[in-house]
Amino acid sequence: MSRLEIYSPEGLRLDGRRWNELRRFECSINTHSHASDGSSYLEQGNNKVITLVKGPKEPTLRSQMDTEKAILKISVNITQFSKFERSKSSHKNERRVLEMQTALIRTFEKNVMLNIYPRTLIDIEVHVLQQDGGIMGSLINGITLALIDAGIAMYDYISGVSIGLYDTTPLLDVNSLEENAMSSVTLGVVGKSEKLSLLLVEDKIPLDRLETVLAIGIAGAHRVRDLMDEELRKHAEKRVANASSK
Amino acid sequence: MSVSAVAPRRKRLSEGLTVTQKVFVRSRNGGATKIVREHYLRSDIPCLSRSCTKCQDIVVPDAQNNLPKFVLSESPQVLPKPIGKHYVVLDTNIVLQAIDLLENPDCFFDVIVPQIVLDEVRNRSYPVYTRLRTLCRDSDDKKRFVVFHNEFSENTFVERKKDETINDRNDRAIRKTCKWYANHLKEYGISVILVTNDRLNRNAATSDDDIITKSLFQYVDLLPNSNEIKDLIPNLEAANEANTKEEDKEDISEFNFSEYYPTARIMGGLKNGVLYQGNIQISEYNFLEGSVSIPGFSKPVLIVGEKNLNRAFNGDQVVIELLPQTEWKAPSTIALDSEHFNVNDNPDAQDEDEPSNATSIISDTQRRLLAKDAIQAQKAKKVQPTARVVAIPRRSWRQYVGQIAPNSVDLQTGGTQNVFVILMDKCLPKIRIRTRRAKELLDKRIVISVDSWPTTHKYPLGHFVRDLGGIETAQAETEALLLEHDVEYRPFSKKVLECLPAEGHEWKAPEVLTDPVEIAKDPLLVRRKDLRDKLICSIDPPGCVDIDDALHAKRLPNGNWEVGVHIADVTHFVKPGTALDAEGASRGTSVYLVDKRIDMLPMLLGTDLCSLKPYVDRFAFSVLWELDENADIVNVDFTKSVIKSREAFSYEQAQLRIDDASQTDDLTQGMRALLQLSIKLKQKRLDAGALNLASPEVKVHMDSETSDPGEVEIKKLLATNSLVEEFMLLANISVARKIYDAFPQTAMLRRHAAPPSTNFELLNEMLHQRKNMSISLESSKALADSLDRCEDPKDPYFNTLVRIMSTRCMMAAQYFYSGAYSYPDFKHYGLAVDIYTHFTSPIRRFCDVVAHRQLAGAIGYEPLDLSHRDKNKMDMICRNINRKHRNAQFAGRASIEYYVGQVMRNNESTETGYVIKVFNNGIVVLVPKFGVEGLIRLENLTNDSNGAHFDEVEFKLTFTQKDSGKERVIYVFDKVEVQVKSVLDPVTSKRKAELLLK
Repeated sequence: MSRLEIYSPEGLRLDGRRWNELRRFECSINTHSHASDGSSYLEQGNNKVITLVKGPKEPTLRSQMDTEKAILKISVNITQFSKFERSKSSHKNERRVLEMQTALIRTFEKNVMLNIYPRTLIDIEVHVLQQDGGIMGSLINGITLALIDAGIAMYDYISGVSIGLYDTTPLLDVNSLEENAMSSVTLGVVGKSEKLSLLLVEDKIPLDRLETVLAIGIAGAHRVRDLMDEELRKHAEKRVANASSK
Repeated sequence: MSVSAVAPRRKRLSEGLTVTQKVFVRSRNGGATKIVREHYLRSDIPCLSRSCTKCQDIVVPDAQNNLPKFVLSESPQVLPKPIGKHYVVLDTNIVLQAIDLLENPDCFFDVIVPQIVLDEVRNRSYPVYTRLRTLCRDSDDKKRFVVFHNEFSENTFVERKKDETINDRNDRAIRKTCKWYANHLKEYGISVILVTNDRLNRNAATSDDDIITKSLFQYVDLLPNSNEIKDLIPNLEAANEANTKEEDKEDISEFNFSEYYPTARIMGGLKNGVLYQGNIQISEYNFLEGSVSIPGFSKPVLIVGEKNLNRAFNGDQVVIELLPQTEWKAPSTIALDSEHFNVNDNPDAQDEDEPSNATSIISDTQRRLLAKDAIQAQKAKKVQPTARVVAIPRRSWRQYVGQIAPNSVDLQTGGTQNVFVILMDKCLPKIRIRTRRAKELLDKRIVISVDSWPTTHKYPLGHFVRDLGGIETAQAETEALLLEHDVEYRPFSKKVLECLPAEGHEWKAPEVLTDPVEIAKDPLLVRRKDLRDKLICSIDPPGCVDIDDALHAKRLPNGNWEVGVHIADVTHFVKPGTALDAEGASRGTSVYLVDKRIDMLPMLLGTDLCSLKPYVDRFAFSVLWELDENADIVNVDFTKSVIKSREAFSYEQAQLRIDDASQTDDLTQGMRALLQLSIKLKQKRLDAGALNLASPEVKVHMDSETSDPGEVEIKKLLATNSLVEEFMLLANISVARKIYDAFPQTAMLRRHAAPPSTNFELLNEMLHQRKNMSISLESSKALADSLDRCEDPKDPYFNTLVRIMSTRCMMAAQYFYSGAYSYPDFKHYGLAVDIYTHFTSPIRRFCDVVAHRQLAGAIGYEPLDLSHRDKNKMDMICRNINRKHRNAQFAGRASIEYYVGQVMRNNESTETGYVIKVFNNGIVVLVPKFGVEGLIRLENLTNDSNGAHFDEVEFKLTFTQKDSGKERVIYVFDKVEVQVKSVLDPVTSKRKAELLLK
């Protein structure tokens, strides 16, 4: 039994946040402009993720081609040094990673306008440099930023966040200590709407609590979206300034 | 943990929120891991003082939209100049040493507990942490304790400096908190006192930071009521600065325990397999002998003698080191209790001029005993490895009940003196306390708490907590035994009582289950079955008010029987997650004493709303079987229901009604059918190998008017007892199967392991030697049969005696969740069934409450609460109820023992007894009539102790009789006439049955 005080009676969490506070969120785009068509680097707390988008490009195998729309391919590389203790295996073909990839593809399939890029492949690589809980949300945010950087048409932002449920209190944006101690869900929210493109529930959660969990999760995702938007606009201003000065 | 060289950077996120990194190195399995965690610092942590005007503006609500309460008073206690109005900040050592004092309602008001202290306390002692947390939660207006999260406050967070130890850093953090508070509250004229027993911390506080700081003793000294409180201060030599001068002297003293090994050596030793860890159990008969069971050893490892025990208490977790083979020996055959050992020791010995005097006497007595032991060990070849304690990772110290040893009190001199307290638990040593009130406490039962046991002290040091009342007053004795067995007996709190139905005793089950108004109130009502037409009755002991169960039987058209067991629907009222549920879970069970019952659930539920009283509608959880003529189950069904019991019988009344041939109504017919079926069920059970064990249980009759104990009676069993029992067993088994089926990982079950053959070794040897009988342990069936064969044609009681003795060799049954063991290990050995649970007494056992909820989940009545689907939570529940169950049993027995003593006080008599153990220096005799057993010492048997001869192989003791001078031989199992009287032990003031051989 974990004897950590996950949520103190005074309303503070293990790392000093309150129940509805996000972790430190910092991002930048176009970080690997030579290696890819679109890229981003994201730090959400101690999660550190690099995302590279290549494409739309011609698929390497003809058999992969779809005449109607583009193919979306996402590969997640969780590095061996991403946790405190170095893992022995590369996580490449782990079932958990494969499931994450499938879930990510499903999350973005409906939101990227694949039909305007027929016969092409959009190849997304995500590298997890460090992880500290709620990694799925960070992956979603990183991919959103990189896709936008690549100029691929999307209907809206997708922002991801994990929410834990401690007893009756929902805790926004869980870190690894919290994630191990309680059940949590991950949301992918479309823009400023209340539409979910991902709802990942891997632990048991009482049905009557789910609504409060979703409410705080959606609010948190909207906040994440605003932070990403702010960064993108800042970046765009810089580019425009660069372009006009030339 | 070790230090990080580079100070982590801070980054401002937004107004009032900064993030930094906590970096530390953790060693695990010999490797080092660098851990980096985020740490957020904020400016919205309030001081929680009512006089503060600034902090009111910065607070933010929590998830339930509640604002923090400002608790600290604006006019706190005033101390003499120059302190004036003050708040107290606690250091970790104060909380750990003096939690009792903090809980005292007469001192320590307006206390600030820094978060770092709370964390340290939690790491050191979880029970103390929970007490401190409770204190902070429940002390709103009287005690006013608050937690200040200094680690998360921007103003008080300190970074660890290079080469600073973690303890120094934490001390600095506490000082910074004090300083911040002092500055923050200066304008309101409130000062802050840091109370700590750490002298270095105090020095640092006064020299560097200018904080008012006091040791616990100094602080209490300042209080207006210091005289009453001083006795309660923990007795730590280090804390009593007056004693520092004497330290040198103590070093010369001959008596010294060896120091414990440092942690590093223990960790290494445990890993290399040189040292072992386990819980120590002190022998019931010899307080200088303990044993530790270690996996891998077939027999427990012995620890003999004061030096080897090295200050271990009964139940402590200890690390031991084996002694060389030459020192291995057999368990001692000497009975020895701490009360009568070294009665003349002087509690002030170590403070006096000639300490060597007292110690030399001790070592002599001890040496003699050890020498004798060693000879015994050589004679018998049953040597056992011995060991010595080298460290005690976890103490089992709690509050103990005892009384002051009269001869340790100096009646002439007043003032503070050292006295010995002899504890009720005879496996524990006496405790040295300092008190000013020795004289007035002389004939009282008192509660004390143990503080420390330095190496230079022969006895542990403790302090007085409170007095319970005069010795031998019923109230004090009852309270003492409840405290000794850790039974929560305080009345239910307001929060718990608020969970009860608002209607109180007026609550009624709905008349019509389909009534839309009622369904609106309780939507689950539609899933209840109306069984009010069934002829249900309950059969219980006379005077029973908490009726858990009721029964009915009806013949079905196809010739089979419909049998129903109806159990009080406690979970309708006790919903998971409520305060009521938490209280029930922590009490675990009701405790039955001779004159008192300590309920698990409030009276309103236990004796009224849940109790299946006759003539009224009650909610029940029913198990309905279809049984054929051979009592085989054709079909089983579970449902929540509404029932109406037609009659509440006592066992005798039910027996009379069944036997009365003139009664031919349906109810009586049903009862007769139940009786017939139960006989068949019992036979089947016995055929499968169920054990019929015995305990020397007696019942004390109380005089109804004076409530003085009247007479003692051996419990007798009627056929109707076993009628109820059989159907309860059947219900428990059926429910166990159902919930295991639905929740294979977390079902609440009960198991009873097969006893290891070593448990029976001694008994078997005795039987073989004396009666040429044996007990087979191949299976429970073999055991049951061999017990049946242990008959002495001349003495019908002999068989019961063997059963009593074999009961003591059995393993204890235990509650567990199904994920903890594999299916073959679910077996209940005593009942000879593959799976079992407790379902039938939810009013008085918490296991049954959980089983009810799981069954309700299994039949789709309502979804099961998460806490009963979580292995960790189930593990905690099981552990707790196992412990509470055991304590309740011990408390019940102790209560009977006390009252039997009271009964015998008035009538001295000569009774038949049986010798059940033979020692080198005495025999243990069991008297069935009173259910008491007692040691008869060799001194009381003969005048010539040295002429006595003890033969360990034949279990015989030969001695010359006291009066007649004739030689007498006593074997184990001998039937003897003993004179039974009750005497008040002059040393312990404990009333005991004293037996004398006739």
